Amino acid sequence: MKPCAFEYLAPETLEEAIAALGEYGDEASVLAGGQSLVPMMNLRIAAPAKLIDIMRIPGLRAIRRDDGWTELGAGVRMAQAERDGTSPLLTAALRHVGHAAIRNAGTVCGSVAHADPAAEVPAVLLALDGEVVLDSVRGRRVVAADDFFRSYFTTAREPDELVVAIRLPASQRRVAFLEVTPRLGGSTGEFATVAVAATADLDADHRRFARVSLAFAGVAQRAIRARDAETLLAGAEPTPDVIAAAAERAAAAVDPPADVHAHPDYRRRLIMALTRRALEELASP
Amino acid sequence: MSEWQTYAERRWAGKRVQRLEDPAMLTGATRYVTDIALPRMLELAFVRSHAPNARIVSIDLESPLAVEGVHAVLGPADLADVQPTVDIVHLDAALKTPRFTLPGDRVRYVGEPVAAVLARDRYAAEDGADAVTVELEPLDDAEPIHDDIPDGRYFHQMATHGEVDAAFARAAHTIRRRLHAQRVVTAPMETCGIVADYDAATGELTCYLSTQQPHLARAALAAAVGLPVSDVRIICPAMGGGFGGKEVVLPEYLCAAVAAIRLHRPVRWVEDRSEALTAGAHGKETEAELEAALDADGRILAMRSRFLSDTGAYSSGIGAYVEFMVGAFTVPGLYDLGGYAYDTGGVVTHKAPISPFRGVGMTTSQTLREVLLDDAARTLGVDRMELRRRNMVADGPWRTVLGEEYEPGSWRTAFERALELIDYEGFLVHQAAAREHKARPPRLLGIGVSPFVEAAGIGSAGGAGGLPGGSHDNATVAIDLSGHITVALPTFSHGQGHRTTAAQLVADMFGVAPEDVRVIDGDTARTPFGMGTFGSRSGVFIAGTVNAAGVRVRDKLLRVAEILLEAAHEDLELVDGAVGVRGVPDRRIRLAALAGAAHFAPHVRAELGDPTLTATAFFDPPRPTHSNGTIAATVEVDPDTGAVAIERIVVVEDCGTMVNPMIVEGQIRGGVAQGIGLALLERYVYDESGQPQTTTLAEYLVPRATDLPPIEIEHIETPSENGTGGIKGMAEGPASATPAALACAVLDAIAPYGDEIDALPLRPETIAHALAGAGR
Amino acid sequence: MTAISVTVNGVAHEQDVPPRLLLADLLRDRLGLTGTKIGCAMGACGACTVLLDGEPVRACLMFAVQADGRSVRTVEDLAAPDGGLDPLQAALQAHHGLQCGYCTPGMLMAITPLLDSGRPLDAETVREAIAGNLCRCTGYETIVEAVVEASRP
Repeated sequence: MKPCAFEYLAPETLEEAIAALGEYGDEASVLAGGQSLVPMMNLRIAAPAKLIDIMRIPGLRAIRRDDGWTELGAGVRMAQAERDGTSPLLTAALRHVGHAAIRNAGTVCGSVAHADPAAEVPAVLLALDGEVVLDSVRGRRVVAADDFFRSYFTTAREPDELVVAIRLPASQRRVAFLEVTPRLGGSTGEFATVAVAATADLDADHRRFARVSLAFAGVAQRAIRARDAETLLAGAEPTPDVIAAAAERAAAAVDPPADVHAHPDYRRRLIMALTRRALEELASP
Repeated sequence: MSEWQTYAERRWAGKRVQRLEDPAMLTGATRYVTDIALPRMLELAFVRSHAPNARIVSIDLESPLAVEGVHAVLGPADLADVQPTVDIVHLDAALKTPRFTLPGDRVRYVGEPVAAVLARDRYAAEDGADAVTVELEPLDDAEPIHDDIPDGRYFHQMATHGEVDAAFARAAHTIRRRLHAQRVVTAPMETCGIVADYDAATGELTCYLSTQQPHLARAALAAAVGLPVSDVRIICPAMGGGFGGKEVVLPEYLCAAVAAIRLHRPVRWVEDRSEALTAGAHGKETEAELEAALDADGRILAMRSRFLSDTGAYSSGIGAYVEFMVGAFTVPGLYDLGGYAYDTGGVVTHKAPISPFRGVGMTTSQTLREVLLDDAARTLGVDRMELRRRNMVADGPWRTVLGEEYEPGSWRTAFERALELIDYEGFLVHQAAAREHKARPPRLLGIGVSPFVEAAGIGSAGGAGGLPGGSHDNATVAIDLSGHITVALPTFSHGQGHRTTAAQLVADMFGVAPEDVRVIDGDTARTPFGMGTFGSRSGVFIAGTVNAAGVRVRDKLLRVAEILLEAAHEDLELVDGAVGVRGVPDRRIRLAALAGAAHFAPHVRAELGDPTLTATAFFDPPRPTHSNGTIAATVEVDPDTGAVAIERIVVVEDCGTMVNPMIVEGQIRGGVAQGIGLALLERYVYDESGQPQTTTLAEYLVPRATDLPPIEIEHIETPSENGTGGIKGMAEGPASATPAALACAVLDAIAPYGDEIDALPLRPETIAHALAGAGR
Repeated sequence: MTAISVTVNGVAHEQDVPPRLLLADLLRDRLGLTGTKIGCAMGACGACTVLLDGEPVRACLMFAVQADGRSVRTVEDLAAPDGGLDPLQAALQAHHGLQCGYCTPGMLMAITPLLDSGRPLDAETVREAIAGNLCRCTGYETIVEAVVEASRP
């Protein structure tokens, strides 16, 4: 399990990196933390001719707060983001990503760009209505999370574009992150069978949900929002019946894949259980 | 009981001596096969089949030679001289599947090696392997895998002992269960590997090989490549786990050896994890059924079993027999059966060939039998432990319905003690309360208990019906001219701490400290013939051979001392590296001086006959040892997700006299961990087209630290009557009883909703499905 | 080939490496530090864990070129020059926290930074911290006990 040969580029400015991507396009892969890319290269599933290492670009390693947003640069390691704590939902989710050593190297933006449908970070970005900042020789653009994730490992990123940051709106929303893995007794594992990233605003009296977002990983070709369920919850009292109905809607809205880890029926059962538990947590005083 | 004589008190045996192996391991100094690099060494990578069943039309062996760094390529024609591997069982009814190193005609499983590329490093070797085009023509799955075995069934044996049919005819109850024991992978942390080094000047082949059986591997390699055994040396400095998977001689080893001989350069092949999971040491896959005939009081009148193992593409390794044979033979366990009939055998399939894997056969028979007993108890309305009591044999020797003679053990005592420790009665109360709908939703708690017995240390008289594995073991004990004691073992540790336990035994024999004893294993040039380490045999064979050889050396040593000290034998004592006269402190001679006298003092030498203070001795126990114990487990099942949380695991273990209780406990914990993996996490999956689905450690789930609860252990010591020093073999019992206890516990937890689960592992999905079926 | 400068166990090394050379192979094959093991080449097993600028990372998922200008610490650096075991190593031995020894270097490197804080650790924290390191032999419990003890003054 050794990778194929490649040419290695280590630009020290964003401009150089973008220029290189512009020139090499889909011949090149971006190397940030490498925790998703290098396993694929070791297995020879991926064999890019060129690797553009972006971790020597100082500006990308910052977590910036401005104007009601938190911006995590492409070089921000997961462990760094976990410690930072600005986004409680992101912090809660990151605990479940791989293992500590993986998080010391892997980057938050790398997980977003990789777009594994079972990955936690894309679900968090989706739940928070976050954004992805892309840059290329053709200029910078910002894409809403829901528009960014397309399908299995497929995003709106063009081959010559670099994900330079993700942006999370600052919010006081309540958050909950729950994950089921094949491991025992709720312990974290390598990946999620199903995970839910949820946020809720309660109304002024704290008796009703004002707005809820429910994003799932591991249930479809990409991370998805359960918008049908969210609609039902908007303005509703979090009674057991309402929660159960929302859980059913969330499960009914997807056609989960069958794979070696779970049958679609089981994934739907997990969606129902996790939706229920997340909403109960969000509603509890 | 054989004589186990010590002059000194038992200073070291029985103590929790810290392991002598550890400092080197902890500092990264211990070298495993993958760490050995020789000058001019080439690295080997295999081209492997992507199809499970195909004819090989052509293999392009030319293109890789153009790849940078590639030195040579070997194909089937290059290895045509290598003798095919055939199993060494002596069972008349067994149909053989000789295995050629690189099959020239067809591939039979995904991952089967078809060509080998040798290069300056593994990177270039894999580049070369990528350049090899193998043209395959898929074959019809209806075609036999091996022409001589039309239905794939290469072995089938049936036998009846005692009264069976009549018992079933008159039974008040007949209980039937089946179990699909899943395919698993041994997955030691160190994968397989070999460094083959051929000295063209002397014609000698040295192979650094990660193997559990150095002498057997030596013989097999020599025969395969056509060298005299004495021209082949196997060395394994250390092995990073084996668990049965490193008992077989893989075709990859033969390929590396031939490459080294042909190319006159050392050749290293290190199995990467992808190869290990795809085409490496798989284990256990068996369909098993068990029926029990019971009378109205729940006494078992008879049992019938059927075992059919899915052996994979070749039956040419020992793994092809032990699973279903040991499975069938271990069904009776600790229960008194009036009759037992079994129907057992194996089939070849388009999957990787299976190796033995810890708890071979027993994990299946134990789990199936204990689950059936729980089922029987529920059917009769009897407490599950009470049903066991009505059928369990009394502590002490026992002759089973199969004619196996158990030496005395603590079968019932360990069982009752485990029930005390887990507070079985208290748990039932707790469980009942949790089931009531006071808590919403009800909590699903369950308890399972599995008594076990394990035969180990099988001598040449006691082989399991034609299977090899008896004793041909020797040890050498020697005192060199510096007075230093060395002991060379017939076994080979792959983590079990033999260096320390052997040193403890020798230290007691000679009045020295364990760190003064050099223990040698894993090198065929420095150890006498031995069968290696498998089947929990090492404790018995180390103690037996070392005692036999050590007593002879000690007697010679004392004879020298008698002469030099002019003292009577009975007045001598061995203390602190010297022999002295008891009660006379200034009359002592150090071992070095005694050794020197033996070698060089003519009058001493004349008395001794043989001047070297060395002895090699053989040990063949007439009867095996039987260790026993009981494992009890409590679990909670999440009613929504089906996830299992293990609350407690209690182990009561009786392995006779313990040389190092710390090491025994390590073996128990490791065995329980593997049992948890087997019960709840691990499974190897092929899809319908024969393609493996679980080829990385992200899909094949080896237990992690967060999966395992603390394991509570208590010991009983019933000294063995058959093992030297009272020592009994152990380490597979806990591995076998754990899945049994957990299966019983999970089924108990969901019993109100049904218990139709008949396959391992008990995955959350399977459990959730069972709950959903009952409307939960 | 790329020229890199990497400090390993306090010693600076200048090497010319192909970009695809994994850090694990730089350490093992070029520098002879075979204590670090490769168990899976995809980050799942932890046998290759080393400290990169003080933090545990998977050496099988890094290219040596990425370590240019950085410092690496491997298992060979833990014991004293005279071979004396550090407190964590001694605790593992005392508790029988290793059997075949293959996972041990990776375990040690994953655990070592945890002890830097000087705060006593509980068993649950330790289990979480070593969840990324597979051991097939011990059942983990004695490793956890050893680390808990080593974390106490």
